[in-house]
Amino acid sequence: MADLTTKLGPLTLKNPVMTASGTFGYGAEYEEYFPIRKLGAVVVKGIAPWVSNGNPMPRVAEVTSGMLNAIGLQGPGVEKFLHDGHYLPFLRKAGAVTIVNIWGKKIEDYCEVAERLTAEKEGIAALEINISCPNVKEGGIAFGTDPVMLKKVVSAVRKSTTLPLITKLSPNVTKIADFALAAQDAGSDIISLINTIPGMSIDIETFRPRIANVTGGLSGPAIKPIAVRMVYEAAKAVSIPVIGMGGISSAEDAIEFFLAGASAIAVGTAIFSNPAAPVEILAGIDRWLDGHRIGSLSEIVGQVKIQEKK
Amino acid sequence: MDYECKVLSNTCLKGEYFRIVFSAPGIAAKAKAGQFVHVRIPTLRDRILRRPFSINDTDPEKGLLTVTYKKVGRGTAELAGLPPGAVCSVMGPQGKGYTLPDKETFPILVAGGYGSAATFLLAKHAPRKGVLLLGARSGEDLILAEEYERVGFPVKIATNDGSVGHKGFVTELLEEALAEAKGKKAFVYGCGPEGMLFALGKLCLAENVKAELSLDRNMCCGTGACFACVVKVKDESAPEKWRYSRSCKEGPVYGAEELYYG
Repeated sequence: MADLTTKLGPLTLKNPVMTASGTFGYGAEYEEYFPIRKLGAVVVKGIAPWVSNGNPMPRVAEVTSGMLNAIGLQGPGVEKFLHDGHYLPFLRKAGAVTIVNIWGKKIEDYCEVAERLTAEKEGIAALEINISCPNVKEGGIAFGTDPVMLKKVVSAVRKSTTLPLITKLSPNVTKIADFALAAQDAGSDIISLINTIPGMSIDIETFRPRIANVTGGLSGPAIKPIAVRMVYEAAKAVSIPVIGMGGISSAEDAIEFFLAGASAIAVGTAIFSNPAAPVEILAGIDRWLDGHRIGSLSEIVGQVKIQEKK
Repeated sequence: MDYECKVLSNTCLKGEYFRIVFSAPGIAAKAKAGQFVHVRIPTLRDRILRRPFSINDTDPEKGLLTVTYKKVGRGTAELAGLPPGAVCSVMGPQGKGYTLPDKETFPILVAGGYGSAATFLLAKHAPRKGVLLLGARSGEDLILAEEYERVGFPVKIATNDGSVGHKGFVTELLEEALAEAKGKKAFVYGCGPEGMLFALGKLCLAENVKAELSLDRNMCCGTGACFACVVKVKDESAPEKWRYSRSCKEGPVYGAEELYYG
């Protein structure tokens, strides 16, 4: 048994495996497959100040080694999340370490959700700011693709909460290091990346896009090399810890992210084909470390060997 | 729950229609009519999602689960190629099934195409035998009629091309069946294409007959987590408004009065 304790700035987790927001519902949906308290953290689907219907159907399309989605952040809103037994009260009872992903249309919306969650924070380990959803017009990605806007929203949320703060970065930028630094400068304790990459798929019989929103976010094994590269570039640029995600479906995939510089990882789309993927990946990480006689996960974080150019 | 299930047989019923039998004691013990299983097809390497299938039949004593399916795309084509002995991950039973009829209820089952797979357990377990109204594009698409007759359900058929039975829509047979069932405690159970189900739902609401409809959606997680398979239902707090309901969790079976037809 290697030491899997994961220190992410002010946040300490018993292991490095989380779920990616939007792929694990609010935790309750998976309790019958494994005890969700076993995870380093459960990151719940995005919470806004209001109830949100999301996008029209169809919302997903399967593509080679991945899928496109444009769910559009359907969700119960912060008050229902706090008080309805299906949401936070369930996560508390299940003993889950909960990270709440938050979103809004304006900066004040983000602050409002952060304040409400902080006021009733029992069972909430951290907040993750979603400025990278490619499927909602306002908010979401508009904040994530402009470093000035990113700083504004992160600084404002920083003032609205005492909880550890994670900023989830968009991959849809030219230089990820600038955005990672902007998040760090604005007071984010941790960064997480990557969110999905915009894509499109067309039904060649009907000539229609396969998703009602026309475009959707690509996730799954297809995006993993992009994610590893961006985690590598972001981790090099900042001194705060990085949570890596994007197409992880095995322990070996996870190890790649650790080597690239991630201190923790999140499993997302893989859960759809195997609900137990997060705990199987956790066990696999442990086995891999033992097999390589490495006593502590932290020893391999960022240890990719790059030959210096002469 | 998620089980590793061995394929016991996988045969062609006719044309593009197939039947696969799994050894799945955990699912067979619990499954109710209208629920579904979510299957990972092991040979679909570069396609990452599971495929949902209605539970057609179960044998709890022998631990058998039967799925009857049509070859419609890559997933089902690969499924049709699985030999006995192959092993699949099968999640189930998933979702909310039909309300089982009681002794007084006269069940009128209405199925379009391979929708007849989803209503079969109702016929098998109904304390009072009713009738199956089976619709299809043509005679080639009629499946399972003999099995319904074997469990005591007479079958009335409608085909769009008139090749077998009534020429027209199965909903036209329903009007007749409802008239014949006057005075009985009729309950309509439907499964098939959305257009047919909506027509069915509206007709039953107008006639004041209880109805439950099973909607067929492409699914992703199958557990209620991803919100990909949503269906518009009336918003309980404001009936003129709608909200999206997860068909894999709150459905796939909905009461006719729950659905939003706008």
